[in-house]
Amino acid sequence: MAFIPSRIKRHVTDTGEAKLNLTSMMDMFTVILLFLLKVYSTEGQLIQPSKSLTLPNSTIEKTPKVALDITASKDWIAVNNKPIVKVKDIMKMNGLIIAPLRKELLNYATEAQRMKELYGHPFSGMVTIQGDKHLPYKVLVRIMATCGKSQYPNMRLLVYQQES
Amino acid sequence: MAFRPSKRSRRPPESTELKLTPVMNLMVVLIPLLLTSAQFIRLGMIEINLPPAVGAGGTSIGVPKEVEKKLDLSVTITDTGFYLASSLAVALGEKGEGPTIPKTPDGKYNYAELSRQLYEIKQKALGIFTDTNKIVILAAPDIDYQTVVSTMDATRSIKINGKIYSLFPVVSLGATVI
Repeated sequence: MAFIPSRIKRHVTDTGEAKLNLTSMMDMFTVILLFLLKVYSTEGQLIQPSKSLTLPNSTIEKTPKVALDITASKDWIAVNNKPIVKVKDIMKMNGLIIAPLRKELLNYATEAQRMKELYGHPFSGMVTIQGDKHLPYKVLVRIMATCGKSQYPNMRLLVYQQES
Repeated sequence: MAFRPSKRSRRPPESTELKLTPVMNLMVVLIPLLLTSAQFIRLGMIEINLPPAVGAGGTSIGVPKEVEKKLDLSVTITDTGFYLASSLAVALGEKGEGPTIPKTPDGKYNYAELSRQLYEIKQKALGIFTDTNKIVILAAPDIDYQTVVSTMDATRSIKINGKIYSLFPVVSLGATVI
């Protein structure tokens, strides 16, 4: 028998209200939220790479630690964001030790030694070097030699991690 | 007695919909917050080891000099390619002169070949020498920082058939060229 629609129920089917079905959107949001919470780490924010330079890429997997920060951009060498000496001057000079940088580092070292005496905070002699990826090797070596001669023998090079 | 209306008729209609709007508000706030603070660039750190001081006799007291056989491996980066050298010999290129590993014809450094040769050296040196994880990297004055870091990557480990082998992870930089 053919289907005959009921004459009474004809007007009842439409409730007259449009509803959004949000459940699938919620599912998606929950997944995104969980993913972002998992990716989010509180440690990595401690070291901010300087804006004025591009760090080199490396395949190393060690995560950086906080230490005294030497920035070697294309123009300036800075210690904790305080400009110390121009890269051009380093290129021209003879010898390995950069005198202004050494003076600044020794200031930091004596301060750290005093902290050690007053509060027992250990002095690690650790320094992080952020260098631009086009920095010539001789500048890098001079910076490192100066660090080594100025009570900061533990040097770390900051790099971008790259999938190998 | 007065007529008491039935309790059943007053029962409110069951609400089948979840109230999702507050949760949505939360999501809309939380997701942009986490997206902006998520770090997509990860930073790494290369530890540099100072070359051991020459003539410091503190650690080697009582050890006869003959027992400690040092490999003293070093890689020198120049404009033309890599030179490999150890305490025994300087490895020569295929033609008998020039760098051990010259640049590829398109002017790039041959990191893969460097890793491969170091892997061979590592295999031969294991058990004979005491310093089979140390290497010194030297470079000509005008070599890029990126090149130095890439060389460190090449000397640190090698990937063969999906497995990663450690080569010479303890790296020092030298300054004798300057």
